[in-house]
Amino acid sequence: MLQISPRLRNTLISIGSLILTTAVVSNAFYQRKQFYPSIIYITKSNASMAAIYFQGLTLVFLTWKLLRWVFFGQLRPAEIEHLVDKSWFAMTDTCLAFTVFRDEFNSSFVTLFTILLFLKCFHWLAEDRIDYMERTPVITKLFHFRAVSLLTTLSFLDIFFVAYAYNSLVTRGASYQLVFGFEYAVLCTAVGFTAIKYILHCIDSLHDQTAPWDRKAAILLYTELVINFSRVTLYTVFLVLMFKMQSFPLFAVRPIYMAVKSFKKSLYDVIMSRRAIHTMNTLYPNATLEEIRAGDSTCIICREEMTTSCKKLPCNHIFHAYCLRSWFQRQQTCPTCRLDILRPRRPATAAAPAAAAPAGQPAPGGGAFPPGQFAFPQQPHFHMGNMAFPFPLPPGFPQHFPMPQPGQAGPAQLPNLTGAPMMYPAFYPAGGMMPPPPPLPPMPVPNFADMSEEDLRRLEGDSRRALEMRVAHLRNIQALLDAAVIQFTQYLSLMTPPVVLPAVPLTSTTTIPTGTSEATVSSSSTNATPSEETPTGNSESDEVRRRRLQRFQNGLAAEQP
Amino acid sequence: MAGPALKRLMAEYKQLLQDPPEGIMAGPVSDENYFEWEALIPGPEGTFFEGGIFPTKLTFPSDYPLSPPKMVFTCEMFHPNIYPDGRVCISILHPPGDDPMGYETSAERWSPVQSIEKILLSVMSMLAEPNDESPANVDAAKTYRENRDDFKRRAQILARKTLGID
Repeated sequence: MLQISPRLRNTLISIGSLILTTAVVSNAFYQRKQFYPSIIYITKSNASMAAIYFQGLTLVFLTWKLLRWVFFGQLRPAEIEHLVDKSWFAMTDTCLAFTVFRDEFNSSFVTLFTILLFLKCFHWLAEDRIDYMERTPVITKLFHFRAVSLLTTLSFLDIFFVAYAYNSLVTRGASYQLVFGFEYAVLCTAVGFTAIKYILHCIDSLHDQTAPWDRKAAILLYTELVINFSRVTLYTVFLVLMFKMQSFPLFAVRPIYMAVKSFKKSLYDVIMSRRAIHTMNTLYPNATLEEIRAGDSTCIICREEMTTSCKKLPCNHIFHAYCLRSWFQRQQTCPTCRLDILRPRRPATAAAPAAAAPAGQPAPGGGAFPPGQFAFPQQPHFHMGNMAFPFPLPPGFPQHFPMPQPGQAGPAQLPNLTGAPMMYPAFYPAGGMMPPPPPLPPMPVPNFADMSEEDLRRLEGDSRRALEMRVAHLRNIQALLDAAVIQFTQYLSLMTPPVVLPAVPLTSTTTIPTGTSEATVSSSSTNATPSEETPTGNSESDEVRRRRLQRFQNGLAAEQP
Repeated sequence: MAGPALKRLMAEYKQLLQDPPEGIMAGPVSDENYFEWEALIPGPEGTFFEGGIFPTKLTFPSDYPLSPPKMVFTCEMFHPNIYPDGRVCISILHPPGDDPMGYETSAERWSPVQSIEKILLSVMSMLAEPNDESPANVDAAKTYRENRDDFKRRAQILARKTLGID
């Protein structure tokens, strides 16, 4: 088969159509000799009318080509793709609209519909073109001229058609003009938005490269919100009117759905952006010049030099405030290390000073919680002295642990702690959420790897139940850590008076109260007990203790966050 | 007039020209359009795809670098992580936040810190070491897992094809 280019094909079709029309007209005139009889002849003959309709279509197509060339020049492939997609949707919608107004279906309806589709295409192309401004390095004067003339023409036409539809509705009552009127009103909002975008892009281009205009994004966001809101309002009014006058406008469901969706999205965008800006302005300091110079002074988001208005995140990464804001609208994390900025966890280096904070006072990071409600500390407090717990302890748990002074009191004064290390199974929720706790001290940890996906999600969630669970777990951890501290002190006190211990044979420890606690602890630890009970020699038992202490410290170190 | 996306793409192009990573060539298809790039990925030495030079196309969204680009191999490929139509499926190209499969951690996914260079290097290492879990091309993954020799043979045929041999 012969391959012909679309261009050649179009030309051939146009010429063919022109020849056909000329033939039809001259044939009619040749037969009837006069103007009116020939017109009647043509309109009566179906074949002639087909030729005339075809000529009409060709003319529309040629006009489209001409106008497109005048306003846009060569179209980019992406623009053509968008155009084809959108016009298919518009065609389907309008075909559905035909069903409602089938009684009024005539040539003027078709004409109006064609004009509407025409104008819609130009609106979409204009929007694409204006968006393209941001993406191309070269903007010619011709571009500006075309954009301005196109936008003015489009807005005039839109307003004209809205007024026309309104007049016709007022004088002649409900008709398909209602649909057209609203279609043009929606197009008005579209052209308004495009014009605002164009103006913003122009203002942006006037700004210096070194000091970008950072309010553009925010203005665009709010404009979008307003435009989408007006669109939703328009559609609502349209729905109500249509429902009163005709029937439910099925054909408008898709556009209405799209309008509501985009309104929801822009509202969400604005909320997220506001939240991000708020977080940034309140929580994170502006980076000083020294801080910027200290590291790589390129903003890793836009790859440009950072001079002023930079923000420093808690993870010490520095970015342009402007770049961060646009990123925070999508993700509330640090772009570099993905630290969650809305719920920052303090880095490990901050743990040491926090541990020295006075007990009973919530750690500084806990400010995000309503005061007094969940005032558990972010860092476990380790205090060897008397410790006031910042949360209510379960009954039976001693509120204060009298810590023995090493070397002074000796093992004889150690409190009986049989209850303490064994307490924690009672804290676990009875619902069987957790797998049975691993063996008792050293340090049982809820095993996250063994938990099912659902359990983890429930743990992660933010419902009241999840929060309570989390608090309960934190309490468990706190209690266990405290128990561990007590054990640790016990060991220490056993270790420190080296004079006392060798003097008393270990078999005789049963006579002092320590024996009970010692037995409890050692029975729960894995395998250290047998050597403990056989006093083979001072150095050996010392060695055993040291090893136990070593292991214990390792366990404790691994436990600390 | 240039949006942040265009500025960043121009900066990355400049960077790639000044300090190109070994063996990789990448650049926009035209001076007018910085949002479509072409890149040539060499098959890493000592791997299945050794010797080939694989043409790819990168398409950048208008909000780059907040969203990742899309990458497509424009030559025929047979690889567990490349869809039969050429689309590349690696975690660095997946937008952060929504993980439909719950498979990758967010740390592997796109963030503005990533760059074209990093993407290209990741794709090179993907060529070197296919990941046959959650494959994009099931046939290729199956062949890779069960019949390494056949996979190597097919990869070599493709590599030679890209050079215009056979």
